[in-house]
Amino acid sequence: MSDFDAIVIGAGNAGLSAAATLQRAGARTLLVERHNVPGGCATSFRRGRYEFEVALHQLSGVGLEGQAFSLRGLFDSLGVGDKLEFVQEHDLYRFKVPGQVDVTLPADRAAAIETLEEAFPGNRSRVEKFLDLVSNVTILQIAAMRGTSPEQIDPVLFRYGLRPSKDVLDEHFDDPGLKAALGVYWTYLGQPPSKLAFQDLALTLFAYLEFKPWHIRGGSQAMSTAILDSFLAAGGQVRFNTAVSAILTEGGQVLGVRLDDGAEVIAPDVVSNASLPITYGMLENMDVPAAVRDDLATRRIGVSGFALHMGLDATPAELGFTTSTTFVNLDTDDDRIHASWHSLEPARGVCVSSYDVAPIGFAPAGATHVSLVTLQYAHAWDGVPPSDYHRAKFAYAQTLLDVVEHVAPGIRDAIEEVDVATPRTMARYLGHPGGAIYGYDQDRTEGWLFRDSERRPHVPGLHLAGSWAGMGGFQPTLEAGARVARRLMRRKESVR
Amino acid sequence: MRHLYDGVPDILAEIETRAPDTSDHLAETARIVDLHHPRRLALTVAEVIVETPTTRTFRLRRADGEDLPPFLAGQYVGVFTDGTSRPLAISSSPARLDHYDLTVRRVPGGRISNHLIDTLAAGDQVTTTGPMGTFHHNPLFHGEDVVFLAGGSGVAPAMSMIRDIVDHGLDRRFHLLYGSRDEQDIIFRDELDRIAAGRPRIRIDHVIGDLLTAGTIRDLAGPLEGRMVYVCGPQALYPYALEQLTALGHARRRVRFEANGAPARPEEQAHWPAGVDPVEEVIVTAGGRSFRSPRGRPLLDALEDHGIRPEAACRSGECSLCRVRVVKGRVHTAEEARLRLSDERFGYTHSCVAYPLTDLDLDL
Repeated sequence: MSDFDAIVIGAGNAGLSAAATLQRAGARTLLVERHNVPGGCATSFRRGRYEFEVALHQLSGVGLEGQAFSLRGLFDSLGVGDKLEFVQEHDLYRFKVPGQVDVTLPADRAAAIETLEEAFPGNRSRVEKFLDLVSNVTILQIAAMRGTSPEQIDPVLFRYGLRPSKDVLDEHFDDPGLKAALGVYWTYLGQPPSKLAFQDLALTLFAYLEFKPWHIRGGSQAMSTAILDSFLAAGGQVRFNTAVSAILTEGGQVLGVRLDDGAEVIAPDVVSNASLPITYGMLENMDVPAAVRDDLATRRIGVSGFALHMGLDATPAELGFTTSTTFVNLDTDDDRIHASWHSLEPARGVCVSSYDVAPIGFAPAGATHVSLVTLQYAHAWDGVPPSDYHRAKFAYAQTLLDVVEHVAPGIRDAIEEVDVATPRTMARYLGHPGGAIYGYDQDRTEGWLFRDSERRPHVPGLHLAGSWAGMGGFQPTLEAGARVARRLMRRKESVR
Repeated sequence: MRHLYDGVPDILAEIETRAPDTSDHLAETARIVDLHHPRRLALTVAEVIVETPTTRTFRLRRADGEDLPPFLAGQYVGVFTDGTSRPLAISSSPARLDHYDLTVRRVPGGRISNHLIDTLAAGDQVTTTGPMGTFHHNPLFHGEDVVFLAGGSGVAPAMSMIRDIVDHGLDRRFHLLYGSRDEQDIIFRDELDRIAAGRPRIRIDHVIGDLLTAGTIRDLAGPLEGRMVYVCGPQALYPYALEQLTALGHARRRVRFEANGAPARPEEQAHWPAGVDPVEEVIVTAGGRSFRSPRGRPLLDALEDHGIRPEAACRSGECSLCRVRVVKGRVHTAEEARLRLSDERFGYTHSCVAYPLTDLDLDL
């Protein structure tokens, strides 16, 4: 006798969208979250007069009202379309390499081409050709993923899709500043252009150019809370401050879960929004299937992040922030930046999100909430003994401020609140190995052509949804949860 | 489809030749999290130190003697006892992680502090949270010249901050203005005087039987500009200290208050509805049970009175661990609550500083 039709482990983006989709389709669903608020990454916290957005830098895929294939359709199907207030960013980003490049890309193809021509004269046709390729490869990849037969797909996808992004940038451009300016979204994916499949970079750039970058009033927490609300309104049950300690199986089939208070909850289907190593590590009464074990052994725990969440007692304009998103890199050597993430050497590149250029409501009037982020692997902290942790944390934080002084000189004088998060903080709040924020390292060995965890979990009744079973980031994980839930429901229907 | 792509053999070869990752990520992740932020600590009272006639320091260690998680001087642990919990500042040095000292003072009507002093003895077991809280020196903006206004047992976090400076050899100026009711109430007196004696950058001024007025602060501490001022003490000290500091022209953003508990008289806050009696009882329904509780009692305490134990730590509206959803009815959420912008819209409040105005249904 089942207690529930399905149990969802983890109320991150994919866990929430899976739970809401299941419950709204009539499956009695229990959502279990170890923390006291929903969201996983998609959350916020308060300090003094400020609320701090933890993770959402730019929400991709929202699109303008009425635009087809946008995330708005997903939000409608989750029952939250009318509960979210989207705040549009009009620029993709400002990209600055001190003394070398300082360019602000509008979130509009034609205007972006104009801007780049002004900053890098003589490149107009190359930029146009590159952006055409970005569009084509993205549209073709989506068609291929949806099962379009190969002969109907323009082979340009096969020539360019898996090439390192760096090769494709080199093929189009000579100016290192221009290459770096067009490729900088690589930091949202965690792998430098030399290791990142072009189809992944193209998809990201396309998603922001075509569907614009957005924020949410009330932050990503407003979205998480709204999805949870929709789940509860449909009759779903949630347990906060509760961790799953084991996934129960019988005869190789999922039976339910054990909670950290020892209670066992029975359900024929378990959707895990936890990381793959933890999910499979929690399987009780069965060995991890060999196919899974072999697959996971060749995947690499992904990059984490180091963040300063700041409340600043000055306006964005006073501080020097002209765009919601600013990338400041010390040079155009992306491999060098990526290499620095393995140690505590001073930060070489910082992504600044300024949440009051287009306000999301987190700072009082006249003040600004910003986050400074550099990516970093958790093992950079392996050599730091716990007794030295706080000193090392603040010392490293200073190096991010040093970088940001290049766009916001005097930022330190305006600090009213600041809290620092290291990869160990990420591990605490996400429960992921290495505090990884995008799942496995998304190099060319990842992606749907080489990994199939989401479709084939190899344990009947187990379902995987989130960045570890697919692409990381908000849009991909929100979509993954709903997709996995719909697939699960179709299977339930067909069994019946 | 894959075979049509250029580059596939290289990528497959790379996957093939990778050294297998054989780590136990489940255990390793739990280890890293527990190293810094264990959900609970099972500790033993190693020693009870009599500080003053009314004050005891409980020295807590792990049973195995291993180091405790690192903390920042000024942080607290939540101590679970007698069906409830209290945040207690660590008074020991962050350089000495083999123990945490919790310094507790007997207060009239202080149920838990008195309970701890009366019952806790060496050898007893205590359950706490890991170290938490934002009341600590932050080198990114607090500067290296700070002032601490302490009242009574509010000196506990200051003691930890001073020990931090001494043990880590920090080049920080620290000026403690410490108010006590009378001479024999002064906690840590000998150690404070001994530390200050050889160190010109650490200054201790005792203010006995007197308020920390603007004049006193100015005369003792000198100009405050640019300096961070920390305040910790009895609840009444906070609005008073802010008034004095404001009178001295000190910027609000250069004052840090330790979390100071739920307001004892919520009906005095401006947004308490007129004419609503805080003594009158209403019916609270939560966790499958219903009970009566006076409007003036914080929901978290009311729940605990009836054996329901939501997760909780700061009990002052800040940490949000005791967040609950009000499904039906109306609450007074005190000014102290640091709610998220989206909380109000979806009916969430922090139960430690929320008061039931009407009959209520809660989701825990």
